[in-house]
Amino acid sequence: MDTLLYLTRRIAQALVVILIVTVVVFGLLHALPGGPARGILGPQATPQQITLFNHDQGLDRPLPVQYLYYLRQLLHGDLGTSYTLNEAVSRLIEQRLPKTLVLTVLSAVLGLVLAIPLGMWQAVRRNKPADYVITTLSFVAYSTPVYFLGLVLVLVFTQVLRWFPSQAPQGDTVAQVFADPVALVLPVVTGAASMVAVFSRYMRAATLENLSEDYVRTARAGGSRQRAILFKHVFRNSLTPVIAMLGYYVPVLFGGALVVEQLFNYPGMGLLFWGAAQSSDYPVLLGCVLVISVATVVGSLLADVVQRVVDPRVKGGLA
Amino acid sequence: MNSILEIANLGVVFSTESGDVPAVRGVSLRVEPGETLALVGESGSGKSTVALAALGLLPGNARASGGVSVGGTDVMGASEAELARLRGRTASMVFQEPATALDPLTRIGKQIAEVVRNHRDVSRQEAAAEAAELLRRVGIPEPERRASAFPFQLSGGQRQRVVIAMAIANSPGLLVADEPTTALDVTVQAEILDLLRALAADSGTGVLLVTHNMGVVADFADRVAVMLEGEIVETGAVEDVLLRPTHEYTRRLLAAVPRLAVTVTGSGGGSGSVVGEEAEGAPVVELRDVSVQFGRGPRAVRALEEVSLTVRAGETVGLVGESGSGKSTAARVALGLVAPESGGVSLFGADLRKARGRARRALLAGVGVVLQDPVASLDARMSVAECVAEPLRVHRRGMGAGERRERVAEVLELVRLPRELARRGPRELSGGQRQRVSLARALVLEPRLLVADEPTSALDVSVQQTVLEVITELQAELGFACLFVSHDLAVVQQFAGRVVVMRGGRVEEQGPTMSTLLHPGTAYTRRLIAAVPVPDPVLQRERRERRLALGTGAGA
Amino acid sequence: MSVQSARRWGLVAQFPAPLKARFARNKLAVAGLLVVVLFFLFCFVGPLLYSTDQIHTDLTQVNLHPSGAHWLGTDAVGHDELGRLMYGGKVSLLVGLAAGVLATVIGTLWGSIAGYAGGWVDAVMMRVVDAGIAIPALFILLVVSAITTPGVPGLIVILGLVSWLVPSRLVRAETLTLKRRDYVLTLRAIGGTHGRAIARHILPNSVSTIVVAATFQVADAILLVAYVSYLGLGVQPPSTDWGGMLSAGLTAAYSGRWWLIVPPGLAIILVVCAFNAIGDGLRDAFDVRGRG
Repeated sequence: MDTLLYLTRRIAQALVVILIVTVVVFGLLHALPGGPARGILGPQATPQQITLFNHDQGLDRPLPVQYLYYLRQLLHGDLGTSYTLNEAVSRLIEQRLPKTLVLTVLSAVLGLVLAIPLGMWQAVRRNKPADYVITTLSFVAYSTPVYFLGLVLVLVFTQVLRWFPSQAPQGDTVAQVFADPVALVLPVVTGAASMVAVFSRYMRAATLENLSEDYVRTARAGGSRQRAILFKHVFRNSLTPVIAMLGYYVPVLFGGALVVEQLFNYPGMGLLFWGAAQSSDYPVLLGCVLVISVATVVGSLLADVVQRVVDPRVKGGLA
Repeated sequence: MNSILEIANLGVVFSTESGDVPAVRGVSLRVEPGETLALVGESGSGKSTVALAALGLLPGNARASGGVSVGGTDVMGASEAELARLRGRTASMVFQEPATALDPLTRIGKQIAEVVRNHRDVSRQEAAAEAAELLRRVGIPEPERRASAFPFQLSGGQRQRVVIAMAIANSPGLLVADEPTTALDVTVQAEILDLLRALAADSGTGVLLVTHNMGVVADFADRVAVMLEGEIVETGAVEDVLLRPTHEYTRRLLAAVPRLAVTVTGSGGGSGSVVGEEAEGAPVVELRDVSVQFGRGPRAVRALEEVSLTVRAGETVGLVGESGSGKSTAARVALGLVAPESGGVSLFGADLRKARGRARRALLAGVGVVLQDPVASLDARMSVAECVAEPLRVHRRGMGAGERRERVAEVLELVRLPRELARRGPRELSGGQRQRVSLARALVLEPRLLVADEPTSALDVSVQQTVLEVITELQAELGFACLFVSHDLAVVQQFAGRVVVMRGGRVEEQGPTMSTLLHPGTAYTRRLIAAVPVPDPVLQRERRERRLALGTGAGA
Repeated sequence: MSVQSARRWGLVAQFPAPLKARFARNKLAVAGLLVVVLFFLFCFVGPLLYSTDQIHTDLTQVNLHPSGAHWLGTDAVGHDELGRLMYGGKVSLLVGLAAGVLATVIGTLWGSIAGYAGGWVDAVMMRVVDAGIAIPALFILLVVSAITTPGVPGLIVILGLVSWLVPSRLVRAETLTLKRRDYVLTLRAIGGTHGRAIARHILPNSVSTIVVAATFQVADAILLVAYVSYLGLGVQPPSTDWGGMLSAGLTAAYSGRWWLIVPPGLAIILVVCAFNAIGDGLRDAFDVRGRG
């Protein structure tokens, strides 16, 4: 019952956020030079065409009415038509989104798998050389622009060492992407680097905080060994805040995918978006922003729900 | 050499950012099997450090010297693996804060079973069965079902029972209890002390009890060691130390402990203050049928239910109750910080809820406030002078800087603080000094009403006594009324003319302090008073027996 | 009262070391401070000592290897690379600093109002923040770049507008705690105004949180400036910034002209690291919570 109440409230919240996002995107659409008409008809449209279009589409009506019209279109899954690729934006996104998800999810998993043990190890060896070395490395990883890191990796691993190809797997379907796993290595590693940096810092901080908690002392007073305390108690307690942070990190992952896809020529949404930006294909640009934002909202919703499952206190409505 | 704990010439030094701080110097003590030694002292005396040293649990920045031996094992020289074998089996520990002592994400049964399996080679099922049995022994109802509860699902007292179950899981020879009841309400404290006493007696366990509470000492201990600034100044049998102290510090400490007068002829009553009713003055603040609810929907909590109380000019009303009784909420309603859902609040005869703007400010200018936490009550970024002058800046905007400085100096003198303190920051002050600065701030506008919410409960007894004396004297001098919120019946008895007992958001009973506390009208108040331990071992033993005879059924 | 008797009456025995000392103990943070100072000297004083022409192209001097005449070689239009590093650094540092501070200011105002007001005002304001966070900044920047090419002031405003969300969250959380502090309650109980509570207690006590947030924000903004040129939003030639140099040198890197990407790349990494290390040191010294 409690869970149901929580879920309804949380989903309602997410819907409000998505509504605000649509307002922002709608605002951007109207900020375009020449307004949405030029955005949709393309740069070659004549003034007459624009006037006609504006009237047909109700664009000469007041903004709030137009907004409602825009919302109704969205509800029907209509994101407009790309005028360079001549295809429905929703179709394009449908084809590309799964591939971007593959990339981001793999990067996230790799990032967490590395970051969590690293952070714990740092906390245990706090202020020892290993801690300083990893801290410095994570600062460097965090501070390196993704495209620079990708470039360095490409130069080292494809030009000098020739271990991996410099292109990501091509192919139109997810199955084709997985058919060439070697080619996925560099894009995924590039996407995961800053995540390792950020989450090892979080994990280090959370572990340190938990190591100083009273329950650790209670466990020690009961004769538990340091290692057992670390893995049985501290690990789980430190993980919950890190999971909560994951929700906030989803947009960063998508931002990273934008650059990685462009760098490795990976045909996902990032590359679609990039191409649309070069050709001022506004319906595609705004459609992608909308979908990415919704994906982000859903991602943080999932992170919250997972945290609730892991942490019984949240379920009880306490913490 | 059959002592279960033997500490010889223990010294502990903490290395901190500002250099080495000695915490314990030359402490020697022993605990025999089956006896309870109480280590008493005020905060900073080093008593908890001794307790931690007994199990080798000192934090990393501590350096210890001397000898500690538990059941024949040398703790100081032991490796971490040897210590792990000792902890939880030969010696175990109960801590002060039950709210944080348990892993919040692990079921309590599992946490107890972990201690069992740390030391004995039993299967998971056997350990789980033992955990349930231990829960039953510490008085948790339906132990099999409760074993799968998470700590947050238990009350503070129940959590402390779980910690005790972990401590006794392997029948240790030594139990170290560091302020085991300090975070608990008195009625729960009495139950926990009864439990510890019974468990220790059953198995002949030696107990090292660390506490600041002389009532707990009188209730529980066989022998007492008094600590001051890291050293033991007096040791002896509990009757000797509590009734015939020899060291000057012990005497001073005992004199400062507020004693609950339990008989009319008893020595209690201290400064006696106002006995009987003088409810003649005009009402200063009045709550009429006030109800308060926090939150909305199914999660809403009713904090107050139809609470009515009145404070009249010049009188002191004590508002007492256990945690969750609503006493602080009632005080906040009186201050206009919490809006009641229904009912009326009048301050100086005017309706506080209807007053707006200038009129409201004029009303509030007559109120002074002192809250509990000496650390949080002053803004650390302001000087003492700025803190005290804040009400003047709010209500006497025309006042010149010189005049203000003069007024601040006057008030600081009233609360017996030197003028020079005005330039200092709150961080440089002690807890007692801070509370006196809070008091100075509350009195700077010469209020007609002082609301004090647990103003001394975070302070050591000696400091508490000074602060209470200052308030009493100033009240006689300035004639303000006082609404005094406290959980400590002894303090209220000393200090308030009238008392309002609260329970679960309702007023349980109210009346003149002496008659209400000596002849309580309700079973709850009777139980509350019976649970307060008095710092006299002989008297306390009688009270305990009477309490146990009177109400085993009442406790649950 | 002497320290002795202070201890006797159970008073806090620890006097925390001063802020400076605590910061100085964090060696990474001190190194970071040093790096930032050196880079500012390099970019703003350096051109006085090592003077180069960064306005006019010189097609006789293109793609030269590092040598005695050009310490870091020259780029594809003949600019001296070391001089260009100073020239571009000015833009990167100034835009990063200004955008970071702007983002912190917006975030502080938004977060403190939301946190102090509470209730539905807070709920609405925070949903707006959620929405802002949900739209990845890089995507917004790329859309903006498709619409327009801003100058330096426009760039600062755009970067400030996409990055105020995190500081607003931090400041809101801080405000929520501070407004329940006893000294704020006491002030409210005796009739002090909201304005006074905010101005005299809440903002001054949030300063440490805000300063720490600002330091991290500057680090992020410098990094974002580096992305901006890559996305095609950057300052226009002949002006440049480190990100512009880096993306201009991307193709050159494949033909072995490492000196066109390694210096700007390292400069970005070093400066961003340095600001992050300073933020880390300040956070520990102030003992505030914030970004892990």
